[in-house]
This record gives sequence, structure tokens and C-alpha cells, in this order.
Amino acid sequence: MFWRIERRLLGASRGRLAVVLLALASGGTIITALVNLELDTSRKLTREFRAFGANVILSAREQPAIRVPTEGVLDASVVARIPSEWEGQRVAAVPFLYLIAQAKPIVSPSQADPSDSVAALSPTMLVVAGTRLAGLPQVAPGWKTVRGLMGSVPQGESVRSAARSPEACLVGTRAAQHLGVIPGDELLLSAGGLQESCAVEATLTAGGPEDDQVLVPLGAAQKLAGLPGRASLVQVSVPGTGAAVDRFLARLSAGLPDVAVRPVRQFTEAEALLYARIHNLLLGIVAVVGLLTVLCVMTAMATLSLERARDVGLMKMLGGPISRILRLFLVEAGTLGLVGGALGTLMGMALSAWVGRRVFGVGAAPRWEIVPFTLSLMVMMAVAGAFPLRLLARVKPAAIFRGEA
Amino acid sequence: MSAMIEVRALVKEYGPVRALNGVSFTVWAGEWIAIMGPSGSGKTTLVNILGGLDTPSSGRVAVSGAEISSLTEAELARYRAEQVGFVFQQFHLVPYLNALENVMLAQYFHSMADEREAAEALRRVGLGERLEHLPSQLSGGEQQRVAIARAVINDPKIILADEPTGNLDEANERIILSLFQELHRSGQTLLVVTHDPSIAQLADRRIELAHGRLARISAAPMEEENGPLTALSRPAGASW
Repeated sequence: MFWRIERRLLGASRGRLAVVLLALASGGTIITALVNLELDTSRKLTREFRAFGANVILSAREQPAIRVPTEGVLDASVVARIPSEWEGQRVAAVPFLYLIAQAKPIVSPSQADPSDSVAALSPTMLVVAGTRLAGLPQVAPGWKTVRGLMGSVPQGESVRSAARSPEACLVGTRAAQHLGVIPGDELLLSAGGLQESCAVEATLTAGGPEDDQVLVPLGAAQKLAGLPGRASLVQVSVPGTGAAVDRFLARLSAGLPDVAVRPVRQFTEAEALLYARIHNLLLGIVAVVGLLTVLCVMTAMATLSLERARDVGLMKMLGGPISRILRLFLVEAGTLGLVGGALGTLMGMALSAWVGRRVFGVGAAPRWEIVPFTLSLMVMMAVAGAFPLRLLARVKPAAIFRGEA
Repeated sequence: MSAMIEVRALVKEYGPVRALNGVSFTVWAGEWIAIMGPSGSGKTTLVNILGGLDTPSSGRVAVSGAEISSLTEAELARYRAEQVGFVFQQFHLVPYLNALENVMLAQYFHSMADEREAAEALRRVGLGERLEHLPSQLSGGEQQRVAIARAVINDPKIILADEPTGNLDEANERIILSLFQELHRSGQTLLVVTHDPSIAQLADRRIELAHGRLARISAAPMEEENGPLTALSRPAGASW
């Protein structure tokens, strides 16, 4: 009989209950979306935000990380000793060898045009970075192609070499401008009497010193520097939480005692601060939305309680204990909370995916573990919002029948 | 005959207004009492107190030997569920429950709902074909018959009726009174508030109130005076 009455109650005040349901579904949508985003942000910060660069650097012990190539270098084969996976996530490691070299575009007589660039007429000293060009997106996905050869990486995409030839190179935008080269041109690099030439495959922007560098294949740089099999440093990208990265560092330090293993602390701390701020902001919004939802439900329920006063008087007249009568209304509110919560959860997941795409460029993955949380929260909010119905406990049947209430 | 209701020096005050002022009387088990008096004389207040819907300011009310004037709210609810059946002029049915469910609601608050038994109660008042109808789909007379079925479903010790025919036309009034007569014959104790002397004639005794005081208790007229009413036919399909 209980559920029979419940069904009738839900059908009897469809208009008012629709308002309650709408409030709960709206609140549930926003809360689900925010909580999902909050949880997903943590994942984004530890995984997708690796797009900002590597978070672990390996270099020669007791030597500065970036020096001229004749000192402070390590064996490039150290890359093979770095775990390719850590706690279920893929680890990327790319060696870099830096040297200072003279660069000069190779201009054929037919192409020569003195007005193009004054700098092109004389060699320019710049930093040449040898690396595994195809692996750049894994440790430096923030480096973007500005201009590339036909069929190479499109403009705005993470730069990488199409590796059509072992002599391909990538040139930073400022270096390209200074040298007066564009994709398709050839560069002559010379250092310490050694020479290497490369074909410019693309120009890139990194928003940092790389914009002034020429990136060549590691082997070419090693030849140019006269340091076969050596690297200045290895950039490693380790996905995962700060604690996971710390565990990785400890493991790597123990496994590579002759190598200095350092985290990029500034990034980790900035990441933690950003995450804490986002966390607090989202929690604050969730609290405000929750409060507003309860107030909306309460307003609708207050009107409903006026309409139900006579019914409660009638049920009391029939000997209904107030606890049993109120249970009817609270279960009704709880049912609405459950339905509103379910609708809100589904819509919230969709909303968070959309917001994720807009903010992070990747849709927030649904975190289904929040479903019980959202449903429980919406049921609690619905029951809290049904507070005016609890005031019906004070209804005196005689007063109702006398028309006093 | 044992005393079903004993009222002694009953007083009910609403602020400065004394609705009942020292009323005392006894109702015997199986009696039909007509409570009469002008508007504002305290009839409804008396019924509300007897039904446990209201509490007296002072005095004593005992039903079947148990004092009800000092019961807690929870005890009064139990008392209403188990010992009293109400019939009101306004019917007071739950609008979103159908006839069957309105009767089952009383069962639900008493103990547990029994659909078959509730349907049988409605058949006895001639509403076997109207079980699934909402109150808004029933005539006034039919709604009052649902209210009567609801009032008797838990086999209460007393039936309290406040102007049960006040909103009905003559034909429906006859049907309702016929049902009351059958209840009376089956030994049910009835207290019926009415303005109508012809209805009061059906009762065993009349309690007349005036300005909250007991003005008179009189025996009902001779049985033959009830001739026209006792000859009333039952509603179609009704059987008690």
C-alpha cells in the first residue's frame, strides 16, 4: 500500500514535483559536471599536462645540465636503462646533445638574392640540439610547427620530424628568421672543423630558447661535436601523480648511480598549486549550487505542503502515525532526488565532457565512481529541501476540518 | 448494556470562547445517538473530542472504559485508527486515491491493507462497480458511501458522523440513512450530528446542545414514527 500511495502522490502533484525534479536535475548536472571535472583535472594535470614538457631530467653527475658538448655529457645508451613503463603508464625518454656551431644556409647560385637576408651571407653562431626528432611530441608536445614542407606536420601541431631523410632538421622560428631559411632550404653546420649539412623540414616555435636553435638528428650532432654515443641530457616524461613521479625518481636514482636524476620541481609545485586552486574553486561552486538547489526544492515543497495540509489532516484523522505519514513524503522526496540525481548525473557527464573539450582540448572522461556520491547527495538535498513537508507534522486535523489551516 | 462512552464535566475552550461547558452524558454500547443543536452550540467540537481529533480543556472522556482525554498524540492516533470511524459532511476523501484505495488507506494505518476486504466493504455500500473511480468521478452520495465503507472497515467501536447527509439530495440521504440503520441493527454504536429532526428520529436518543451546554437528553420517538425511513430501500447492490 505504501508504494501504491507513493505512486499516487507522485502523480497527484505533477506540476510542482516537475519543478522539484528540474531543480534537482539541474543541480545534479552542475555538481556532477564539476566533480567529474575536478577529478579529471587531477588526471589531466598528471597526464595531459605533461604536454608542458618533461618532468625528469637525467644529466651527467656533478656537471651542469646544459654545457658545451665537450664536458658534462653522459652515455646516450642510458636511455635504454630507463623503464619504458611506470605504474601502468608509458614513460618517454629522449636524449639531447647540445653544441654551439656555425650555421649557414647553402644557397645555390640560381637562388642567390642578396636582398633576402644580410645574415644569410655570413655564418651565424647558434646552439644546435641533437635529438631523436620523432620523439619530440613525447617530451615537448608544446613545441609547434610554424611552417613545414608539404606533407609534413601541419601548422599548429606538435612538431616532429617526418624523418624522410636522416639529414632533416628543424629550425626555431627566430633562428630561421635570422638565417633566412624556410622549409626546403639546406643548412651547413660547422663546429671544430667538422661539418654537417641538413635540410630544413620545418620551422618551430616553443616559446623558449629552442626558438633560437637548430634541432638535428642526434647522430648528426654527435658527429658534429665529435662525441659519438654521448648526450648532454635525457628528458623524461613520467605520467602520474607527484607521488608516482617521486617513486620513479627514487627507482631511477638507485638504478643509475652515475647519473644525476632531477625532477623539474618548479613545474611540479606550480602544478600542485594550480590543482589546489581548481580543487577549492570547484568545491566552492559545488557547495553554492547545492545550497541553491536545496532552496529551490524547499520553495516548491513549501507550496506543496500548503496543498497537502488537508491530506495530512485526513490521514491523521484515520489514525495515521505522523512518522508513517511523513515517511510517505520523505520517500517521495527521496525518489525525486534519485531520479533527479540520475538525470543530473547523465547530463553532468555529458557537460563535463563538453567543458573538458573546450578547456583541455580533450573531453573529460566519465568518472563513474562519482555516481553513488551524486545520487546520495541529490537524495539528501531533496530530503533536506522537503523540510517544509516535515512541518506538516504539526497539522491538527480538527483545525484543518474547521478550515483554520 | 455497558457504557461505551462516558463524558463528565467536559470543557473545551478556544481562547476566550468556551465551546463546551461542563457537558456530561453516557452512551451505551450499540446506541444510536443524535447530537443536535444550533450552529455554534458545540456539536462538532464534541464529536472531535470524542473522536480524538481534539483534546478537552478539562473534564473526562472515557471510551469503552479507557480514558482518552489524557492520551498522548501517538496514543490518540492509535485510538482513532482502532476505535473510531468518521463520516463527515464534506466526505473528506483523499482526492488522488480511488474509492478502493481510500478504504485501504484506513486499513493501512490500522494494520495492513487488504484489497479484497476493502472491495467487499465497498460492495456492501453498493459501490462494487466504482472501485477504481476517483472521488471526483463519484457523486456526493457515492463519495459518502465510500466514507462510510472507510469508517467501518476496521470494525471500530464507535462511528462518529458530522452532518453526514448535509451535502446530499433526498435520494442519497435516504441511502446513507439506510446504511446507518443497518449499522445500528448490527450493533454498531453511532453518534450522528444533525440539524434535521427527521434524521434524529431514527436515533435511540437525542443529545441537544445549546451554547456549549447540554440542553437536553431525550429518548427517540416510538419506533413506528420511523416508519417512512425504516422502509427505505438499500442502495443497489448494497447489503450489510
